Formats: sequence, C-alpha cells, structure tokens
Amino acid sequence: MRITESLNQNQFLSSIGALEASISQTQNEISTNSSFTDPAQNPVAAGEVNDFSQTLAQSQQFETNANSAKTNLSTEDSALSSVQTTLQSLRDLALEATSGTESSSNLSAIATQVTQIQNSLLSLANTQNGNGEYIFSGYATQTQPFTLTSTGATYNGDTGQRQIQVAVGQTVADGDNGDAVFNQIPTGNGTFTVTAGTGNTGSGVIGATTVSNAATYAGQSFSIVFTSPTAYNIENPAGTVETTGTYTSGDTIAYGGTQVTLSGTPDTNDTFEVAPSTKQSLFTTVQNLVTALNQGVSGANGQVTLSNAVSTAINNIDQALNQASNVQSSVGGRLNTITTQLSVGSSTQLQLQSSISSLQGLNYAAAITTLDQQNTTLSAALQAYTVTQGLTLFKYLS
Amino acid sequence: MSDLFGISVTALQAFQQAINVTSNNIANASTPGYDDESINLSEAIPQVDGSATIGSGVAVTGITRAYSQAASNQLTTSQSTLGQLTALQSYTSQIDNLVGTTGGGLSTALTNYYSAWSNVANDPTSTASRQALLNAAQGVTTSLQSTASQLNTLSSNVNSSITADVTQINSLASTISTLNQQILVTQGESGGQAPNELLDQRDQAVSTLSGLVGVTTTTSSDGSLNVFVGNGQPLVVDSVVTKLSTVPDQYNASQLDVASSAAGGNSIDSELTSGDLGGQLAARTQAINPALNQLGQIATAISTSANTQQSAGVDLSGAIGTAIFSSPTPTAVPSSLNTGTATASVAITNVGALTTNDYVLTYKAGAYSLQATDGTAVPLTGTGTAANPLTADGISITITGTPANGDTFLVQPTATTASNLSVVLTDPSKLAAASAITASAASTNTGTATISTGTVTDPGNAALTTPASIVFATPTTYSINGGTVQTLAANGVITSPNGWEVQISGTPAAGDTFNVGPNTNGSGDNRNALIAAAQQTTGVLDDATTSTTGAVSALITGIGSQAAQINTAQTAQTAVNTTATNNVASISGVNLDEEAANLLKWQQAYQASAQALSIGNSLFTTLIDSVNGTYT
Repeated sequence: MRITESLNQNQFLSSIGALEASISQTQNEISTNSSFTDPAQNPVAAGEVNDFSQTLAQSQQFETNANSAKTNLSTEDSALSSVQTTLQSLRDLALEATSGTESSSNLSAIATQVTQIQNSLLSLANTQNGNGEYIFSGYATQTQPFTLTSTGATYNGDTGQRQIQVAVGQTVADGDNGDAVFNQIPTGNGTFTVTAGTGNTGSGVIGATTVSNAATYAGQSFSIVFTSPTAYNIENPAGTVETTGTYTSGDTIAYGGTQVTLSGTPDTNDTFEVAPSTKQSLFTTVQNLVTALNQGVSGANGQVTLSNAVSTAINNIDQALNQASNVQSSVGGRLNTITTQLSVGSSTQLQLQSSISSLQGLNYAAAITTLDQQNTTLSAALQAYTVTQGLTLFKYLS
Repeated sequence: MSDLFGISVTALQAFQQAINVTSNNIANASTPGYDDESINLSEAIPQVDGSATIGSGVAVTGITRAYSQAASNQLTTSQSTLGQLTALQSYTSQIDNLVGTTGGGLSTALTNYYSAWSNVANDPTSTASRQALLNAAQGVTTSLQSTASQLNTLSSNVNSSITADVTQINSLASTISTLNQQILVTQGESGGQAPNELLDQRDQAVSTLSGLVGVTTTTSSDGSLNVFVGNGQPLVVDSVVTKLSTVPDQYNASQLDVASSAAGGNSIDSELTSGDLGGQLAARTQAINPALNQLGQIATAISTSANTQQSAGVDLSGAIGTAIFSSPTPTAVPSSLNTGTATASVAITNVGALTTNDYVLTYKAGAYSLQATDGTAVPLTGTGTAANPLTADGISITITGTPANGDTFLVQPTATTASNLSVVLTDPSKLAAASAITASAASTNTGTATISTGTVTDPGNAALTTPASIVFATPTTYSINGGTVQTLAANGVITSPNGWEVQISGTPAAGDTFNVGPNTNGSGDNRNALIAAAQQTTGVLDDATTSTTGAVSALITGIGSQAAQINTAQTAQTAVNTTATNNVASISGVNLDEEAANLLKWQQAYQASAQALSIGNSLFTTLIDSVNGTYT
C-alpha cells in the first residue's frame, strides 16, 4: 500500500481517538465502581439489575410491614395476657362466692369487686395501639369497640381482620376483632349448657357436665324433670318422656351422649334444662354474675339459685379463658411466622444484593490492569507517530 | 544545431513544469480533497533527417490527478451510511444515558410509590403515611415528565438539525452546479485538458454532501455531474438545482419533514435513509418516538391500575375513592391533507392489549383500515360509530363527521401520556385504603357459618355498595334480597352481579342472614391498600403478564440494546469508512518522500538539459570562431 501524508494522519487520529475513548470508559467504570454505567454496555444485565433492585426494595418493604405487624401483635399479646390474668381473678372471686358461707353483704362486696373487674376487662377490650387505633374493633379502628350496657356490652366494631403483607403471597393478620375475642364465647361447657329451672324449689345444684359420647350427642335439647326427689323423667322439648331414671345426690345423669352431675335434693317438678351451647358475650356473663351476686342469698332457695348462677358463670368464664388463650396462641403463631419471614427475608436480601453486585460490580484488579494496558498502548502510539513523522527524505536534502 | 537548442528548451520547459507540479503536490500535501498530480511526458514528434529520424525533445501532454472513481464511490457510500449511524447513535446514546440504569429514576420512583402503599396498608389511619403516598405518586409523574421532556428536547434538536442539514445540502448543491459550469468553461478554454483543481473541489463537495444525505451521481457526456437523493429525486442536473425544503409534518406541525419540489412539495422522509439527514429522521421514528410511547404505555398502566383500584375502595370518610392520576386523552390527528370533515377520538379500553405503536387510520373505499407506523396491518373491528367504535389493540376509535376517500388519521394511544400524567388527588384522606364493601353475619344466626369480609370483583360497578342481604332458606340454598333461590357453591363463594364476592364457611342454619354493604366505618381496613401495594408485581401490560416495574426493566433493556446495536453498527461502519478513506488516501494522497525523490529527479534532469544547452552553445561558439579565423 502506498502510504501518503493524509493516510498517515487519518490512521493516527482515528486510532488515538479510539484509545482515548476506551480509557475514558475504563476510568468511568472505576470511578463509579460499576461494570456498566448505562444500559447499552450490558442491556440484559441492566434490566436484570433493575428487576433485582425492585425485588430487593419489595423485600425490604416486607420487613417494614412485618415489623409493623409485630408491634401490633405484641400489643395484642400483652392485652390478652392481662385478659387471662383478670379472668383468673374473676374466677377466684366467683368460687369464693359459692363457698356457701358468704352473707349477702359479703356477696354484695364481691359484686363490687366483680364490677371493678368488669371495668378492667372493658378497658382491655378497648386497648389502643401506639397509633391510637383500637386493636379489637376490626376495621373500625377509630371506633371504641365496647360500651357497657345494663345487660353486658355493645360491640361497635366490625368483624374485619387486617392483613399485612409479609412476603409475596403471604399475609399475616395483625389483630383480632373484639367480636371473636370477647363476644363469640360458647356458653356452658362449650358444647351444651345445663340450667336450673327458674321455679325450682329443691336444693338440686348443677355440678360437672361433660360430653360422654361425642358420636351420640347430636345437639339435642331435653329436660330433666324430677317426678320425686329420687326419680326423674327425660323429656324432649315437646314434653314427651324419652326415658326415666332414679336419683340420689351426687349422681351422674347420662342421656344422649351427655353427662350431668347433680347434687342436693330436688323437689318434685324441679327441672334442669339441657341445651346446645350458644355464643355469649363475656360482658354478659360478668353482668349476669353481678346480678346474681347482688340478689344475695335471701329467700328460701337463695343459696341454691346463687350456686347454680355462679356455676354457670364459672363455666362461661372458663370458656372465655379458653378463648383468650386460643387467640393468644394464634397470635404467638403469627409472631413466629413473622420471625421466620424476617429471617427468610434477610437471607433473600443478601442473595439479591450479591446477585446485583455480581452483575454490576466491578472487578477492580481487571479494570486497573485494563487501564494500565490502555495507557501503555496510547503512549506507545503517540511515540510511534512522532518517530515516523521525523522520517522524511527532506530531512536529508540540504 | 537548432535541434539541439530546441530539444534542450523543450526539456527545460517540461522539467520546470514537472518541478511546478511537484511543488504543488508538496504545497497541497495536507489539503482536504487534493488529489496527487503527476505530469505526463512524452517524446516530441521526431524529425526525419536524411537517413535517420531524430527525436525532437520532450512534450508535456497533460497533468493527471491520481483519482479512482471506484474508490471514490465506495467512500461516498460508506460516508452516507456512517453519517446516518453517527447521527442516530448520538440520539440513541443520549436516550441510553437519560434512561440509564433506573429508567430515568422511574424505577426508584415506582419502588417508593408501592412502598408507600404498603405503609398505608400497615397503618391506614395515619395521615403521614397517606401524605407520603401522594408525594410518592407525585415522584412517579415527575420522573416520567422529566424523561419525556428530555425526549421532547431531543425531538426539537432533530428539527433544528434537519433545518441545518437541508440548508447545507442546498448550499453544496449550488456549489456543485457552479463547479459544473466552471468545469465546462475551463475545459473549453484549455482544449479539453482536465481542470484538476475544479474536479477536486467538485469531488470534495460531493463527498461532504454524501455525509449529509445519501446521493447517487451520474456524469453527463459533457462532464457535468448530476446528483440525486432518495429514490432518484434530482438535486443537481447539469447546472439546475432542485432545492430541498422543510415542511411541517402532515399530522404533527411541530415535527419538520424534508420535502422536494420535484415530489410536488411533499415529504420525502421515507426515501431518506442515509447520511446525517437520514440519521436524524431515523432517530425520530426509531428511537425518540418509540421511547416516548413506551414510557406512555407504562404511565397508562400505572394510572389505570391505581385509578381502578381507587374505585374498588373507600376513603377515610367512607366515600368511594376518586382517581389519583389524570392521564391525557389519547390523540387521533387528521392529516393536513384530508379533504373530509371527519374527526376521530380515541379511548383506551384495555390496558393489557395496549402496544407502544402509533397507527395510521385510513378511510378508503368506504372502509377503515389501521396500520402501525412500521407498516404492519392491524385487524380492526367495528364501524366507527359511538355505539360500535372501531377497536384494535386495546383502543377504540369513534369517528364523527364525514371522511373523504383517502383521508388518514394518526392515532397515538400513548405518545403524550408520560409528558402529561399528573396527580389530581390532593387530600390524603381521599386515598381509598379500605375496601368498598364489608360483610357481616346477623347476630341472630344460629348456624356455625361465618362470612368472609368480601372482595370487590368489578371496581366502579354503580351498584357496588348497594346493601344486600343473603338469607339461607336451607343450609345449602340462599337468596339475595329476596331474589331467586340459588344453591350455595361447594367452595361457599357467592358472586353478586353488583361486583363483589363473599365466601361462606361452615354450615348456615335455615333463616341465617348475612349482610353485605358499604364499608362505612372501616378506617382501619387496608384491604384495598394491600391490593394497590401488590400491583408492584401484578401483571397489567401485555395481556396482564408484565407488571409496571417489569415494563421499566424491559424499557431499560430495550433502550440499552438499541443503543448497543447502533454503537456496534457505528463502530463497524467507522472501520469500513476508515478502510475506504485510507484507500482513497493511498491512491490520491501525497507522499512527501516520493515528492522529494521527484524533486531531485526533475532537478537533475533540468540541470542535465541546461548542461546540454551549454554544450550546444560551446559547439556553436567553436563553429563561429572557426569560421571567423579567430580559431588559431
């Protein structure tokens, strides 16, 4: 090839230009600690890094969510612990009232204490979290969930349960509504209830009640009607006698899969009604107890009425305790889920960060070696040009 | 004897000319467009002198430039391609830089936006979280607007570059036409000798022109050069120049097209595919407008999903949520060439089917047809009336007025959305974090059944919050508001035509009642906010397979790939062009060593001829002296 002045200069300029551009590129990579600074250098990795960054940000948000749920659940957990402690002292008071030695005035003092406990329970049911939201009112978190009435309490919240997203496709409830915790409490032993007839005149008192055969028990209602202090009929709701039996104090009467222990001596025509459990508010239970205690032991059969009423109340308090404990273990389960998710989340984040840095991170050693090579090439090219420029015949013509 | 003088004189004259040519070469060693010249010497016509023919010296037959038409043509073509790629690359790399690794900040803004929804879900009654969400929504629109406005700036740069290119092309065309005339005149005056300097200048003008616009050239028999652009639009024919001009685009007056009076003053954009001008036009149609459309598509998806979700929920006061974002109405612009009175309006009906295309709607022979701007035909249904609009690709077009045969409209579903998306919700309490409906069981129920709080399946349904009472006649049959008795599905799901569904779990007793109705007191409800936050990964575009954040990643990869591809093509073309340039430089350039050697050669030849003349002189003196007898 014939080498001419213009060719020489063209080649020099274009090669120097290319070398300077690549040095600038390497410098930029080193100063930003990134193997690419705009998508054109690695379009696929740029898209992936963006995806990963989104997932990372989402995972960090899930962590925030989980911690928010954790705070609310911890508030609920401690409220439920207090509810159980309070119910336990209520139960102790009720037991004290049935010792049979309390006078009406003592009972009235107990009633006062029970009323105080009722207020404590009310304030626990109206617990607010740090943001001023009522934790037991479902979605209606700005509405006080419970207000006392003469027969118990009204629930003003709804049955909503707020879910918090803690992972893709996984939500955790950050609370429970007050209806489920305090209102929907089964009466009696949780399966059926036994109540003494209001016109009973004997001293028959209800003792333990159990389901002896869950397969036989079909939720039927029946009455135990005493035909004499030692004999009874089992009657269905229509009044038909299903079966008969004999009774001595402390006997267990078994029928249709249920067992009811009675003590004392019922009078003829005294009745005891067995019916399936219904749902009753804890506040109704407490209010009924207060009413029974305030009635005292006056009247012919006062002690027996009180015993039966308190026995019913204790059964219901046990169910409420059971409910509070169930809800609390569910809260504990949710807190465990959150803890697990937080740890899964942090390892996910670590993984994503390492993926991002392997896609985008710069190999410093390689980059600096490249820069060094590029510098060497550039200075060699500059030197070569000055050397060849001096090579001309004119230099020797003089 | 006179021969001896004559021969020497021809030689002295020839070598002097040769030295002049060499000096001229040295003088122009660095002149762009200069072609190395060499002197053509030949023997002068011999004289017959008795028995022998004797040469009569040397004759200069001409001065030739080192020029290869083939190499020159190759360079012209390669410069046109390089010009196109270099112009296009300057835009694609600018777009690449402004989109960057975060989609121009859109990616970060979207992350903040969805996180803000999550924070509202965590604490729906907090005004601070709600305000932060509105700020984050503002961040999304700001980022979209800023990227779109930079793209629009690039679009105006295209306009000014087109204007500058056209001016320069016209000026070069005039230069070529003038040179054509001068060459003709000079050739005539010099008896057909090539006017090398003028030819060099004309070639240089064509070479510069080829970098601006792809040209084809032909040479007339008289040596005039004819230059054509595009598909044979004449630019210079002999001495006649047909100037190019800029005209407003038929659909968008803010975009300039290139027109030629040879094409009736109409746009010849589609023919201009190379040179800087071709690159400017390609940047507009292949890089800037598609990027705006892609951003607009993402903006539409963000706005539609957010606004739809708002209508599925209620705000802190219990009212159905109103739109967070306001996006501009898509445009359908009639061509300025239309003769009918019809106007078209466009609405987006299905975001999932929305593309990043612009379309041309054509009315021909009583029927409408739709073409994407890349020329692909798009199936169209409907007749264009309000009752039965033309629909395709997630948009519907309604025509009012009467179109004339051949009328066209440019339909742009997403082009202006990114620039004009705005946040219209200003009151944080109006964010619909709660679901619009809630469900509850009547307190008198005796069965074990519970009801889910319900989900909205048809946001925006007018009857969404109309209270409904579900009464079970038996444990498996129910009626809503005393309507038809229906059988409960095995999964317990009850779907209402009012746009909600609830799920019954457990066994209801006969007479059990469940109520579904407006969520009037649900300030702590976050069901709607949860769905809004999950939209970060919910598919909405491309038949609900691509999320908004996924679309941003696709945008980044797409822009990056295009820039990378153009960079690679430009680098490759630079190499091709370097080869072509070197080839021309090797053939036509000046080598100073050659010139130095030539200088010596001609100098020695001149000296030798002068010596011959001197010898002739002394021979003549000898002869004269002999005749005069002075010779002793």
